[in-house]
Amino acid sequence: MRRLANALLVLTLSPTLALAQQSPPTEEATPPAPPTQAPAEDGAAPATTSEADAAPADADIDERMTIAEGKVAALEEQNTETKNDLLSLKKLKISGYVQGRYQYQQSLDESGAGGFSKFSVRRGRLKTTYTTDWAQMMLQIDAVPAAPGVTVRDAEATLFIPGTKQQLSLTLGQMKWPFGYEAVQSSSDREMPERTRVIRAFLPDERDRGIKFAGNFLEGKVNVSVGLFDGDGIFNQGYVGSDNDKEKDFIGRAGFDLGWLSGGVSGWHGYSIAKAPSDAYRKAHTRDRLGLDAQVYLDVLPFGATSIKGEYIVGKGYWKSSGDVKVEQLGVPASGWYGLIVQNVGLTNAVAVRYDWFDPEHGKKNAAVDGRPASTNTVGTLGVSLLHYFGENLKVTAAYEMPMTAAPSGAQEPHDNLFTLQMQARY
Amino acid sequence: MKTFLGSIVAGLLLALPLAAQAGNVTVKGSDTMVILGQRWAEEFMKKTPGTKVQVTGGGSGVGLAALQNGTTEIAMSSREMKDAEKTKLRTRYNTTGVEIPVAKDGVTFYVSESNPVNALTVEQLRGIYVGDITNWKQVGGPDAPIIIYSRENSSGTYVFVKDHVLDGEDYVASAQTLPGTAAVVNAVAKEKNSIGYGGAAYAKGIKELKIKQGNEEVAPSAENIKTGKYPLSRDLYFYLRNKPSGEAKTFIDFALSPEGQAVVTKVGYFPVK
Repeated sequence: MRRLANALLVLTLSPTLALAQQSPPTEEATPPAPPTQAPAEDGAAPATTSEADAAPADADIDERMTIAEGKVAALEEQNTETKNDLLSLKKLKISGYVQGRYQYQQSLDESGAGGFSKFSVRRGRLKTTYTTDWAQMMLQIDAVPAAPGVTVRDAEATLFIPGTKQQLSLTLGQMKWPFGYEAVQSSSDREMPERTRVIRAFLPDERDRGIKFAGNFLEGKVNVSVGLFDGDGIFNQGYVGSDNDKEKDFIGRAGFDLGWLSGGVSGWHGYSIAKAPSDAYRKAHTRDRLGLDAQVYLDVLPFGATSIKGEYIVGKGYWKSSGDVKVEQLGVPASGWYGLIVQNVGLTNAVAVRYDWFDPEHGKKNAAVDGRPASTNTVGTLGVSLLHYFGENLKVTAAYEMPMTAAPSGAQEPHDNLFTLQMQARY
Repeated sequence: MKTFLGSIVAGLLLALPLAAQAGNVTVKGSDTMVILGQRWAEEFMKKTPGTKVQVTGGGSGVGLAALQNGTTEIAMSSREMKDAEKTKLRTRYNTTGVEIPVAKDGVTFYVSESNPVNALTVEQLRGIYVGDITNWKQVGGPDAPIIIYSRENSSGTYVFVKDHVLDGEDYVASAQTLPGTAAVVNAVAKEKNSIGYGGAAYAKGIKELKIKQGNEEVAPSAENIKTGKYPLSRDLYFYLRNKPSGEAKTFIDFALSPEGQAVVTKVGYFPVK
């Protein structure tokens, strides 16, 4: 340790020692020669030696002009080359964001079991997009310390159909399902920390492999996205990275956008060939969904604009989380909806209130099992979020969510209220 | 834990009203409009001492970006807001923004006074700016290479010409970009084989090209621009995040008043009212 300290001291002092060893200037030392001045042209400022090298002093004005023009031409050529290089760089866009979190959840019951107080990195996204007139490549990865670690979220190859000014496109790869509003919305833009229960059930991880056509019509007032997908998502249990059957799912959304009002109708039709617990053999289970969504943007209050958003989905077959993977609830009918109000307050603050409701099994009454709500009972969640923006790169969110599970027959509702403090930095 | 949560919530709630306070008016954006904005600000501040209006340029894109990141109250733009910009505004502020046309302009192509070419079709202009036409003799001029001047890509005029003249195609790489329309006019006046473009307000000391439409040649005159006959007529806009209020509203009301619109004419643009 002492040796290390001595070494550091020597390194720190060495420039000083080196300076001290330099000879002080003496009167005998030859002073630097003053710059020789070239004879000036009439009316021109005298030139120094270096300038005279560039344009000989005895040269006439025409010659000097020719030299200057040559230099300008060379600079123009360099400029054109630089611009060409920059043009290709401008097509490349790199962006990303990190969501760091602290979360506190109540103990589930009076015994003190369950609940948590933890720090985590929820998302660490890095996205690269390269766009030309006809094509676009997009690759987005998620890198977080906990499982599943580093994963590919999006890997898309897009062709902009020529002659359509990028209004029509065809995309092949791994991308978001073109269904609804919240699933497609970026997690970095959302006001609440997580998507609603109904979206997480019907569209877990929001992505799949497939092909998609997207088009904007009537100056963007109408938009359509339709595609053919494997249908399993990116973390379906047992089939991560591959399809479990030859069945493909047809998914799409037709939307409108009037500026202050937008919305759409979404549909999903497909099958999953698999063996449910009650099946003797593998069979085709219907995977259908119908969705409606609407968003209203109002500018009526003096301190900031207001948005109201809602979405409803009904369908058969959804996924339940089981650790890092999702387990498909084959052919089970379910439905859910949410309503969200966001109020901006001044330039840098916003308040969001959201209520979402999910029925995991249609036709099955809410019940109690061992004094607790059954797993098929409906759940409504009320969430409140306060947001503060530190410039355009940093957003802090403090959210409190209160899930309310239906608890009939004297069953005790779990205490699972959740507080989330999230800091999101993006570029 | 409850105390900790309570402190955070209370702190955030206290911060909310402070953020809603209004300050002086900041106006940023289009270089085409910067002189107009400054004249309006001067006249307005004479009438309402105590209110400070700060006007800066940088280009329409810069102004609209400042509107999105909250660093300006009013963005000046010589083009309409793009869909991507509207989406950003809606995502961040839950608003679609407010668009107010405040003046009219005609994008004008300039050549040297010594150039015999007086009029070109939009197709010929496109040919020049995408690099298909490289010599003046291809459009009835002298046998000389065409020197092309353009604007920076943050300029609304750059985007307008790209959308309405180049049909969305990229500018030829040899086009030299200059900062501001005044610089383009200055360069065209000095280089006899050049062509440039900008707002009508700056077109002094050089020749303005007419636009050929069939057998007709339409000049960028006040009447043709006001009536929309000149094919490259455009509105000049103020963009805001929300409905104008307070000092910003008073300033915009002034710009749209007869007095403010007189300033428009004085600067060389055309009134909207």
